[in-house]
Amino acid sequence: MTREALMRLEIQSIDIHDLKPGAKTYAKDRVLYVNCKELEEILLKDRRIKSVDIHFVYPGDRVRIVNLMDVVQPRCKIDKVEADFPGFIGKMQIAGSGRTRSLRGITVLVSNPCSNRKYSALLDMSGVVAEMSRYGKMKHISIAPTMADGTEERDFEDAVKIAGLKAAVYLARATEGQPVDEVEVYELDPPSLNKKSDLPRVAYYYQLYSPQHDHIGISDPCFYGTDVRNLTPTIIHPNEVLDGGVVGAHTIRALDTYTIQNHGVIKELYQRHGKDLIFAGVVCGVANMEPVTRSRQAMMASSLVKNVLGADGVVLTKIHGGLPHVDLALVAEECEKLGVKTAIFIQPLVSYGTLADTLLFNAEAVNLIITVGATMERIKIPLDADRFLGGTADTKIYCPDPIIQHAGDPVIDVEQFLMAGVHDHLGGANIIVKEY
Amino acid sequence: MNGKKLKVVHYLNQFFGQIGGEEKAEIGFVVKAGPIGPGLALQRALGEKADVVTTVICGDNYFSKNPEQAGEEGLKLIEPYHPDLFFAGPAFAAGRYGVACGGICKAVGERLEIPVITGMYPENPGVDMYRKYAYICKTGNSARNMAESISHMTRLAFKLISGEQGAHLVSRENLPGPGEYDYFSRIILRNEYTDKTAAERSVEKLLAKLRGEPFESEVILPKFERVAPPPPIKDLHACEIILVSDGGLVPKGNPDGLSGRGNLRWTTYEIDTFLPENFKSSDYEIAHTGYFPVQILEDPNRLVPVDIMRELIKEGKIGRLHPHFFSTSGNATVSRRCAEMGDEMGEEIKKRGVEAVILTST
Repeated sequence: MTREALMRLEIQSIDIHDLKPGAKTYAKDRVLYVNCKELEEILLKDRRIKSVDIHFVYPGDRVRIVNLMDVVQPRCKIDKVEADFPGFIGKMQIAGSGRTRSLRGITVLVSNPCSNRKYSALLDMSGVVAEMSRYGKMKHISIAPTMADGTEERDFEDAVKIAGLKAAVYLARATEGQPVDEVEVYELDPPSLNKKSDLPRVAYYYQLYSPQHDHIGISDPCFYGTDVRNLTPTIIHPNEVLDGGVVGAHTIRALDTYTIQNHGVIKELYQRHGKDLIFAGVVCGVANMEPVTRSRQAMMASSLVKNVLGADGVVLTKIHGGLPHVDLALVAEECEKLGVKTAIFIQPLVSYGTLADTLLFNAEAVNLIITVGATMERIKIPLDADRFLGGTADTKIYCPDPIIQHAGDPVIDVEQFLMAGVHDHLGGANIIVKEY
Repeated sequence: MNGKKLKVVHYLNQFFGQIGGEEKAEIGFVVKAGPIGPGLALQRALGEKADVVTTVICGDNYFSKNPEQAGEEGLKLIEPYHPDLFFAGPAFAAGRYGVACGGICKAVGERLEIPVITGMYPENPGVDMYRKYAYICKTGNSARNMAESISHMTRLAFKLISGEQGAHLVSRENLPGPGEYDYFSRIILRNEYTDKTAAERSVEKLLAKLRGEPFESEVILPKFERVAPPPPIKDLHACEIILVSDGGLVPKGNPDGLSGRGNLRWTTYEIDTFLPENFKSSDYEIAHTGYFPVQILEDPNRLVPVDIMRELIKEGKIGRLHPHFFSTSGNATVSRRCAEMGDEMGEEIKKRGVEAVILTST
């Protein structure tokens, strides 16, 4: 019996070469014209938002965008209604099937100028950061909402996040009828243990979130509109990740929505699916704060990988931080115990020591370790900007040393994970860590 | 590098400095003009670009007996020449000479902020002692390899002084690759650009692992040593106990600058002034971003249990509480530095004659 795959996602990419203000929002000859007034009106429908700053940002602009909370690739569903970022702005429905339009070369930069967070990310469009970041070469719409009176801080953060997603959908919708530059099809049958193949079955373990830095003790929603603090390891379809079921947390720590929409490991496994391997599916889980829970979740995750997906091998990626490192290693160890070969991503947390010194686990079987980036490597950035978006020259920039520094200082000393578009916890960056 | 000739100072021991053999190993510092012995080969390798203006010589025993002090003494002799580059040795497998080359490089590099280059055989104890502070080129175990070793050292030196940007590094620093330039890594990590993404590397290597083929992990697993617990204390009544914590408790303002994450420092505070019985919670802060410090800020005794210790002393259950408390912040600190700090604290605790330590963590 033959049948069509249940989850077939077609991503139609359109290259946008320029962004310009316009009397209406539409695209012509790869130029996207944006009626900022109309976009503003859409974003102001959310009563938690008092006003919103909207700016165009281009490579080479001497501008520093601060309080950066997310970067979103403009995308919209073509053949479904109310299906964009389900649970966040769309209705609750399964993401990952049908046709999606995706704009390349532009993004939405989402800033929260009212942020009280210790960590907040930044992007410069000129100078060192622009050279390092993939976003430095792209064109952007920067949006920065301000808080309406009487809004709770965390509630407002959710509003900012959603404003970014809405803006991304709004831009993508405006390009209807434009020629499509590339069509990618992501199609994967539900896992079947019975299928005969000589190819190894490779699964992906996706550590989605860690609650360790929850701002004022509340987790960020990042999965179909909800948070996943207490998520029991579960199986999701990889297309759900690519197509808006998962978004970035409220802080960019070497990870944002754009990075998830272009998920490095998932795309790589898809590319090799049917050629070198069978992509057996995705198990997602979270980093756990408590040791007994951690053991239980690691056991359950490994069982899903082995006994449900029937995987021979698994790639595991982590979220930013030390606790997630420990947690992920335990999942890998449990997988190896069950005979599933692992490749685990780690992130050295300091730049001092040998690579071996930076491991936070001691498990002989976990012997294939990929260094996704020393995301906490420090770098001194001379100021090249004369304009600030999403905040001001007085916006604080985090440094782990006990010093206070501001966005307008002549030089800031930052860790690279706070520079949007440099590192990528999901494996999409061409970075490796070496001893020097 | 402009047209100006670079000034080079070269360090040698008594033997290579042509003062004498083992019988002259006690001799102190001697300064001679121009290149001497291996310095001639160095000058040849440097060619027209640089001049060995001075050779500083010291006996191996004199230097290695007190490397810190000797380094300072040597630095004073070197400083007036305002060198652009500093070379020492190479020391090959000679242990005391290796320590001397490393020690002088450390002093010069830290103070004059110029590239310092030496050469050693991998088993030379100077490698592990000084690799952090100097570029130590890998050499053979004897002077037979002199010319080749010196040519490696000069090649590395020219790279270091070139002012080129390291386009292969995310940080753009001009750091030569230890493999390409044949030196012992200085135990630092750097993000490097690479052809393949982490995703591509992970899947490719995993497939090799699945096929049972050789695969290359990007990190080689460390071998952890087992630490045997010390024998228990026989008489607690007569014992002096010190409190040590990695919870990051510091006075308000964090005067010693402990970092909240990836901290590499530790410090001491006098208990009577730092944590008196009538402490004020507003006097403290926590230099540690890895836990919620609210309860500890309310009562720092919950991290550093001075109150309980005072009670136990009153009850006669323990002898004394050491008047100082050692504070550090252990949050994503690399294990190597943790071990070093442990050694440093252990040495200090021993020196103070304290018999027992209570370590409190978070």
